[in-house]
Amino acid sequence: MEYQKAAELNGLCNGKIVTEYLCRNGFSELTVDAKKVAVQHKNETSRKEAEDESRLPALEEAYTTILRGLGENTDRQGLLKTPLRAAKAMQFLTKGYHETIYDVLNDAIFDEDHEELVIVKDIDMFSLCEHHLVPFFGKVHIGYLPSKKVVGLSKLARIVEIYSRRLQVQERLTKQIAMAISEALQPVGVAVVIEAAHMCMVMRGVQKMNSRTVTSAMLGAFREDPKAREEFLALTKSA
Amino acid sequence: MERSKQKQMNQNENETDAAINGHFDGRVKIPGWSAGGAAGNPSTAPSSSVMESWREERTRSLEDNEMSLPSIAAAYTTILRGLGEDPQRQGLLKTPWRAATAMQFFTKGYQEKIIDVLNDAIFDEDHDEMVIVKDIDMFSMCEHHLVPIFGRVHIGYLPNKRVLGLSKLARIVEIYSRRLQVQERLTKQIAVAITEALQPAGVGVVIEATHMCMVMRGVQKMNSKTVTSTMLGVFREDPKTRDEFLTLIRS
Repeated sequence: MEYQKAAELNGLCNGKIVTEYLCRNGFSELTVDAKKVAVQHKNETSRKEAEDESRLPALEEAYTTILRGLGENTDRQGLLKTPLRAAKAMQFLTKGYHETIYDVLNDAIFDEDHEELVIVKDIDMFSLCEHHLVPFFGKVHIGYLPSKKVVGLSKLARIVEIYSRRLQVQERLTKQIAMAISEALQPVGVAVVIEAAHMCMVMRGVQKMNSRTVTSAMLGAFREDPKAREEFLALTKSA
Repeated sequence: MERSKQKQMNQNENETDAAINGHFDGRVKIPGWSAGGAAGNPSTAPSSSVMESWREERTRSLEDNEMSLPSIAAAYTTILRGLGEDPQRQGLLKTPWRAATAMQFFTKGYQEKIIDVLNDAIFDEDHDEMVIVKDIDMFSMCEHHLVPIFGRVHIGYLPNKRVLGLSKLARIVEIYSRRLQVQERLTKQIAVAITEALQPAGVGVVIEATHMCMVMRGVQKMNSKTVTSTMLGVFREDPKTRDEFLTLIRS
């Protein structure tokens, strides 16, 4: 049962909420849906930390099978504890399933009479490709136009952490971050740009060392007003 | 292939390296298809020295890969469940197979032998100045966390009448890096392979790499790099040669 919840959790943006939003094409409608989403968020069963410990032996065994299947000698000194370390590493790299937005954000929303663009850029992001279980990493640039409510700046980075420490697809990650911010703050607009290098493309497959994938999500004023979008993109462009 | 005595090299410290990566003397049996399954006990089998490394038996073949794919894929399905994900959702349906194939690709160094790669490309050339191939992109897997390591390898050697095809240096790097590795050992293996193949006057290998196990987890230091080097022969004894090498790779 919890598996389904996790799937919903990560699959949220593939589901109904986003399509409804896209159909209506207006940001103010989102507030009506926000309550629906809020209820859904509170029902999220995030994976409990205690469960991590209990799942460790199964993960260790799986990693031992993998090492043997690759032809390695699991008794040699360097590999003796590798299944345990790899299992813990993998749990750390998917710890975003533990956390919900409400845990992280609830206290840090402030009323501030500010309506100009707020940007937090060059947030380092590390995630796992859900197709190959290989890392992809890069930078996230977030901008939003507050509507009387601002959020603590580090909370933007924490939102990135929550969603990126999962098995992800870059497109979905971008959208989830944008949706989380828009739902929490109801700002005038949100823009998220992610530029990442995918190890599944660099280390294997086509093996293109220098390629980068860029995805963006523009909501609200950033979608409708080209000038706002231009300003955001100009400010996040690194020299 | 005659084994020349390399007086300037310290053989003792190399001997243990042979057993470590588990493949040099071919005694490692892949447990999946032998009855009873346990891999060879390192202490009972004879350990051959690294000097014989390029006579190593190939321990993995393409058939081995195909045969072990289902069990590795099943292991990945277990891992996905263990992390709380739903292996039946659309994005994850074929992930166990993709991840298993990817992992086999990342360890394809076990399938190759140095001798296959090098045999034809050693030429007699009356050249005794330094030859450097630098900025060779290298991708490996940390043997402790099974997380990628990537970086650059710089190789320099002083030929002794025999030179090596340049791309063969990069192929040597590929063979040794596409394994479960420790950066120190990787550096040494590359240096020793070149030494064995060419018997040059000296070899220098420098690797500068980023370890995802340090960047993505643990201490989480984004900009840290690990640099290791192995200097053999003239590079070890003569500081001027070493200086020239280090200056040239820096420029």
